[in-house]
Amino acid sequence: MAGGPPKALPSTGPHSLRDMPHPLAGSSSEEAVGGDSTPSPDLLMARSFGDKDLILPNGGTPAGTSSPASSSSLLNRLQLDDDIDGETRDLFVIVDDPKKHVCTMETYITYRITTKSTRVEFDLPEYSVRRRYQDFDWLRSKLEESQPTHLIPPLPEKFVVKGVVDRFSEEFVETRRKALDKFLKRITDHPVLSFNEHFNVFLTAKDLNAYKKQGIALLTRMGESVKHVTGGYKLRTRPLEFAAIGDYLDTFALKLGTIDRIAQRIIKEEIEYLVELREYGPVYSTWSTLEGELAEPLEGVSACIGNCSTALEELTDDMTEDFLPVLREYILYSDSMKSVLKKRDQVQAEYEAKLEAVALRKEDRPKVPADVEKCQDRMECFNADLKADMERWQNNKRQDFRQLLMGMADKNIQYYEKCLMAWESIIPLLQEKQEAK
Amino acid sequence: MEQAPPDPERQLQPAPLEPLGCPDAGLGAAVGKEAAGAGEEDSGVDTMTHNNFWLKKIEISVSEAEKRTGRNAMNMQETYTAYLIETRSVEHTDGQSVLTDSLWRRYSEFELLRNYLLVYYPHIVVPPLPEKRAEFVWHKLSADNMDPDFVERRRIGLENFLLRIASHPILCRDKIFYLFLTQEGNWKETVNETGFQLKADSRLKALNATFRVKNPDKRFTDLKHYSDELQSVISHLLRVRARVADRLYGVYKVHGNYGRVFSEWSAIEKEMGDGLQSAGHHMDVYASSIDDILEDEEHYADQLKEYLFYAEALRAVCRKHELMQYDLEMAAQDLASKKQQCEELATGTVRTFSLKGMTTKLFGQETPEQREARIKVLEEQINEGEQQLKSKNLEGREFVKNAWADIERFKEQKNRDLKEALISYAVMQISMCKKGIQVWTNAKECFSKM
Repeated sequence: MAGGPPKALPSTGPHSLRDMPHPLAGSSSEEAVGGDSTPSPDLLMARSFGDKDLILPNGGTPAGTSSPASSSSLLNRLQLDDDIDGETRDLFVIVDDPKKHVCTMETYITYRITTKSTRVEFDLPEYSVRRRYQDFDWLRSKLEESQPTHLIPPLPEKFVVKGVVDRFSEEFVETRRKALDKFLKRITDHPVLSFNEHFNVFLTAKDLNAYKKQGIALLTRMGESVKHVTGGYKLRTRPLEFAAIGDYLDTFALKLGTIDRIAQRIIKEEIEYLVELREYGPVYSTWSTLEGELAEPLEGVSACIGNCSTALEELTDDMTEDFLPVLREYILYSDSMKSVLKKRDQVQAEYEAKLEAVALRKEDRPKVPADVEKCQDRMECFNADLKADMERWQNNKRQDFRQLLMGMADKNIQYYEKCLMAWESIIPLLQEKQEAK
Repeated sequence: MEQAPPDPERQLQPAPLEPLGCPDAGLGAAVGKEAAGAGEEDSGVDTMTHNNFWLKKIEISVSEAEKRTGRNAMNMQETYTAYLIETRSVEHTDGQSVLTDSLWRRYSEFELLRNYLLVYYPHIVVPPLPEKRAEFVWHKLSADNMDPDFVERRRIGLENFLLRIASHPILCRDKIFYLFLTQEGNWKETVNETGFQLKADSRLKALNATFRVKNPDKRFTDLKHYSDELQSVISHLLRVRARVADRLYGVYKVHGNYGRVFSEWSAIEKEMGDGLQSAGHHMDVYASSIDDILEDEEHYADQLKEYLFYAEALRAVCRKHELMQYDLEMAAQDLASKKQQCEELATGTVRTFSLKGMTTKLFGQETPEQREARIKVLEEQINEGEQQLKSKNLEGREFVKNAWADIERFKEQKNRDLKEALISYAVMQISMCKKGIQVWTNAKECFSKM
């Protein structure tokens, strides 16, 4: 279930940020960009416009025909599959190869998305497309819309303060690429979301804009129904287990926020320490110019401090690029999860209100009316989906944080090892008996 | 201002004594006083050496510091710190040490000792005292003289000062130094009775005054330049080091916050809880480790400071040479002008300006008797002048010879000591890195169990 190291996918060779013709414009330019497995335009058009039946994920059957429990049972089946690691994975997605595009109206970055799958939902075994951030943003909204009962992974922050962060710098682009890669991998690992039609189109369509414009909203049954839940109902009490989840998320987000602040403060202090070190080292060098016998030892100390400074710079860069963004991602994640919890509350509220209304009517009906039954159905599905997602989320969160914190420890260990090596290597130099000059 | 060769009355036994070793700050290093010969006792000199100095090793230590209150010169109450100086003699044969002297001294008495040595041994690079007030502090250290850490480091510095003197081939034989270690009462009076303040050349204190010296020994000029640069570079180094220490302190301490937040977070986690909690503990350990690390580094800073102040002493010797050379040149100039005057009076030609000549012009010629008298006076002065010039020349050459010998000794000592200091600094850094690796490895293991 958790993302293991991504399998190596064929790349089209080393690329650097350079200008390219507009990737989303006609198919002719596509050949220059992607790999050799791009599907022919005809096939693609056919897929985009018509064959819903081929593309729809099993969880989202046409409205009205399936039993309430179908989503949950499917989930159960899929969960079993997911527990087996590696071998049974049939969908791999990777985000790489960022490229800068300079156009008259704007400049932006696109990323290459490479997909490998044996699933029937994919016509070809391999796809390679280019997408920009707004495409990811679109995908996420579509997922939220069509799968409201599920927890949708977060995207890296959309806006960056211009002038403070250079959104075309290699570090920024790389950080974003990693976050986008993680985003897609989390969807890939999800038994329901990975079958979502929008996700499929995102991974495969040559002309995503055309698809977007079509306004194809192939909502799942759930999506359709949840969409119509009016917000006017107030929930009296959240059931214990969801209240517990809500409380947990609140505290969790708080603690992460604190950790984020601490990490930022550490980086700030380290940078200031670095500034002083960069002045400190050269003074030994200056001193060595005054001396005879001490010249070499002093110069050695100066070089040593220089090496430690470089190691420190690497540490702060790593922490900024690898540690902080993941923390922030999880804060965003828990925020979006809290909204899903609220939506669930609304669904429950509607059901309870309708149920009450029926009870108050005191009609002589032995059976509960269909629409109330639908509400109950909706609520139970939501609860089931959410619980399943929470469990999956908890597991992934544990893996992610274990990796993140071990990574942080590792970076610090490497920093100290570099410094240790530098200082140990000058001891013999310092102890050397010098010939009288 | 006289430059007397080492006065036998100020020195203990004239037998050449060879001191051993380098003073080891913080320990009572053995200072060997062994006679080069067969241990000839010169009973004619001092009966004060009730310990038979030369055949036994002596150990000096400044072992304690104590806060005292007393009344100062203006009869106002003051608080000061007194330091206990203990002198032990070590039996050659069985290595046992016996406490021979023990007395209390305050910082101002150390200063008095040093000022005395500066006057009587101007050709020696006199060991410096630890700083009077805390300088180059970083935020954690207080600049308060009563602060226990500062007092402790000063105690070590004062001990180091005494050991430096004791291990100096010439200074160690000074009587006033000996009395400093042995005579508690009246020592101040004894020092003042030497009248050393009167002998002090006030010009030495006027550091900025420049004297146009025509022929200084180039080695001294270069050395003075070196001492200025050394002072400048070590000051800079100490200032930046203090800032580095400050920043490093910040980095470590902020990590302590992880301890608390991990603990709080672990409370809401099931499987991750233990790992987080124990990792947090390691972060606390990491944060608190900086205190010891930086305390150790202060010793390194103190070693650098000693040489910062030594540079001052070095400069003083060079300055002394300059002044002697200046006086010599002035005396020579004065002599030459007197000779010329004399010649002119004798021959009747006036080439040089003299006040007498002027007044003669104004008020009339002097009588031959008057002129004879003047010539006689001048001839006497010229004689005296020539004697003085000779002795000044001799003094100057002696000074240069002795001073240069001590400077060479000093250079060797400086190179040795600073190398040791750099090595110990590197060792400190290595220890710090190893501790860091240990803590983060422990934390990593806790994280892996999450």
